[in-house]
Amino acid sequence: MSDHDHPRAIGGKPFDPLMKTLLAIFGVSAVVMVYRFFTGVGPVSNMTDGFTWGIWEPVNVVVFTGIGAGAYGVALLCYLLNKGKYHVLVRPAVLLGAICYTLGASSIVIALGRYWNSYWLAVPTMWNLSSALLEVAVCVLSYVAVLWIEVLPSVLDGAAQSKSSAWSQLGRTWGPLLAKAMPYIIALAILLPTMHQSSLGGLLLIAGPKVHPLWHTALLPTLFLISCLSMGYGAVVVLTTILNLTWKAKHDQRLFAEMSKVNAGLLLLYVVLRLGDIAIHGKLAYLGFNGYTLLFVVEIALFLVPAFMFFSPRVQQNKGRLFGAALLTVAAGASYRVDTYLSVYRPAPGWDYFPSFGEIIVTIGMAAIGMAIFIFISRMFPVVVVETRDHSHAGSGRVLTAGSR
Amino acid sequence: MSISRRSLLKGAVVAGAATALVGRAEAREEVEPRPDAVGMLYDSTRCIGCRACVTRCKEANSLPYDRTAEGIHDAPTDLNSNTKNIIKVWTAGEKSAFTKQQCMHCVDPSCVSVCMMGALHKEGEGKRDFAGEKKGTGVVLYDKGTCVGCRYCQIACAFNVPKFEWFEAFPLIVKCELCRHRGDPKKEGPLAIANPACCEACPREAVVYGKREALLAEAKRRLAEDPKRYNGLIYGEKEGGGTQVLYLAGAGVTFKQLGMPELPEESSASFSERVSHAPYLHGITPIALYGAMAFVIRRNKSKEEASEHHGEGK
Repeated sequence: MSDHDHPRAIGGKPFDPLMKTLLAIFGVSAVVMVYRFFTGVGPVSNMTDGFTWGIWEPVNVVVFTGIGAGAYGVALLCYLLNKGKYHVLVRPAVLLGAICYTLGASSIVIALGRYWNSYWLAVPTMWNLSSALLEVAVCVLSYVAVLWIEVLPSVLDGAAQSKSSAWSQLGRTWGPLLAKAMPYIIALAILLPTMHQSSLGGLLLIAGPKVHPLWHTALLPTLFLISCLSMGYGAVVVLTTILNLTWKAKHDQRLFAEMSKVNAGLLLLYVVLRLGDIAIHGKLAYLGFNGYTLLFVVEIALFLVPAFMFFSPRVQQNKGRLFGAALLTVAAGASYRVDTYLSVYRPAPGWDYFPSFGEIIVTIGMAAIGMAIFIFISRMFPVVVVETRDHSHAGSGRVLTAGSR
Repeated sequence: MSISRRSLLKGAVVAGAATALVGRAEAREEVEPRPDAVGMLYDSTRCIGCRACVTRCKEANSLPYDRTAEGIHDAPTDLNSNTKNIIKVWTAGEKSAFTKQQCMHCVDPSCVSVCMMGALHKEGEGKRDFAGEKKGTGVVLYDKGTCVGCRYCQIACAFNVPKFEWFEAFPLIVKCELCRHRGDPKKEGPLAIANPACCEACPREAVVYGKREALLAEAKRRLAEDPKRYNGLIYGEKEGGGTQVLYLAGAGVTFKQLGMPELPEESSASFSERVSHAPYLHGITPIALYGAMAFVIRRNKSKEEASEHHGEGK
């Protein structure tokens, strides 16, 4: 990698039409959220005692954090396996992760019935360690903090370059200190998602009688862990391609192709484990002409198609095709997660569910504010590495590997 | 290509380290019925569907009457946040059988296993000390002070018993607590612990309250005394790790027809905890993993800086 890979603040007008649209969408969802605190969850949702999590948990938490797992995936490659070439992806991936996880955690507060009791989570003697959800809650909250600490180097970099001497001083003092602590923070940033992403699958182990046998398996934690990585790598390619189109972000096709081969391996590993598990436990009999089989086939296809695409040179060399394949991996993980939590979840005969307008608008609004935050921070602080021939940016943040940010 | 394959392999090893051991289940002791556990025995063949128990349950627990959108007064069709106990009927042609639903007070309850801060807990075995709670009764109690309303209990309960107050700004989880508040310490035996209003109300002793052991013996006695009357099984003796509320059903009627889920002998809580706890090795795995990763990442960083220092770049 060259020395020219400096992330730069994008700058520009903060309130462009896109930003206004995103904020308007969030505004509508915010009305629903505020209303919910006065009336309870019932009036704004179609959730029932049978489908008690609606779409908020399956989508806002389980899918959003899967997309945010790009930060985890890139950290694994870049820091643990010491592949310095992936460094250009770290800052956007970490920012995406920080935003996705923050949205997931905030969505939970909206969904919790007795949110004011959450303070007990800070008291370890109260923890019921048998609860997969406790593990997820504690781990996700800590990870949100860790992710924002990981975003700090961008902010401190930005501060160091600031014209204001106070800000500049702040950036210059704290930047290097943070860089020293970074390896210990990054180790945490790898450990925590390993734990809670598998626990997100583990959550449904106890719901055995309610989850369709094709999906309910002791491998749930493993499959959720693999699917978060495949979603994360896909999301990073998707994000960076979009940034390239809009802000001329550096787009290293070879690097993406290489990372996508790692992803292809993960996708295939998922399919092998999934099919093998079903075959070994004699669950093939559940396949037939029914809706569950259709969901299952679509899911497996969504994992297989991008895996084979990633191995094809025609895809590896083409920005558009690689983007398409990456998008499919995100869809694959998302469909697996939503299927497991919702589509194949049947509490008992007689229960039915379709999300209400209120539920959908909250989910869309959360996604919108997430994009708005990403755009805002990228405009203000050096996050994105921009394609440039200009060598005069000597003062901007130099990118090093292995936690030296 | 070779590099990426290698990194893939390494990546898979590292990322999968925590879950790779899933297959090798760690021993999690099966929860046995507590010797002093109390519960109920419901005999579907004795029930005439008078619903006196439903009404008395509401009175005893100060639950509001239920109202449908059409204005039908207090005729709930299922358990809900106003209804902790309900009588249902199963019909097929000429045949019909009544069934009763309320909390089963499982021996190894899923709701207790999943509850983050022990809001749902076995009496006297919660995360906080509650004055007056007596360990060993096995009654599943609710503490609104530590409940965050996450509703994981509703996902976990195979019987769909816990209900949520959907239309309240400050909602509660509602479920049968075996009328523990009606227990009278001055009385002898099980009545000192609890006194379910439904059992008190039943005119035909279709549902009776007592120690689980005694109820199990009574169920067996009834089966032996009149084998033609029953289907020969006791639901809750083993199902889902056992429950403290036991069921008898008439000849030719299955428990599934009465709305009870078909459950394996291992409790869902035991299965779930066994699988999820295995890779943690009592907390050793995360600590070891963290230490190893911090070491590798720091070493990588020093190497990086050394090569930078020598002006080699990369």
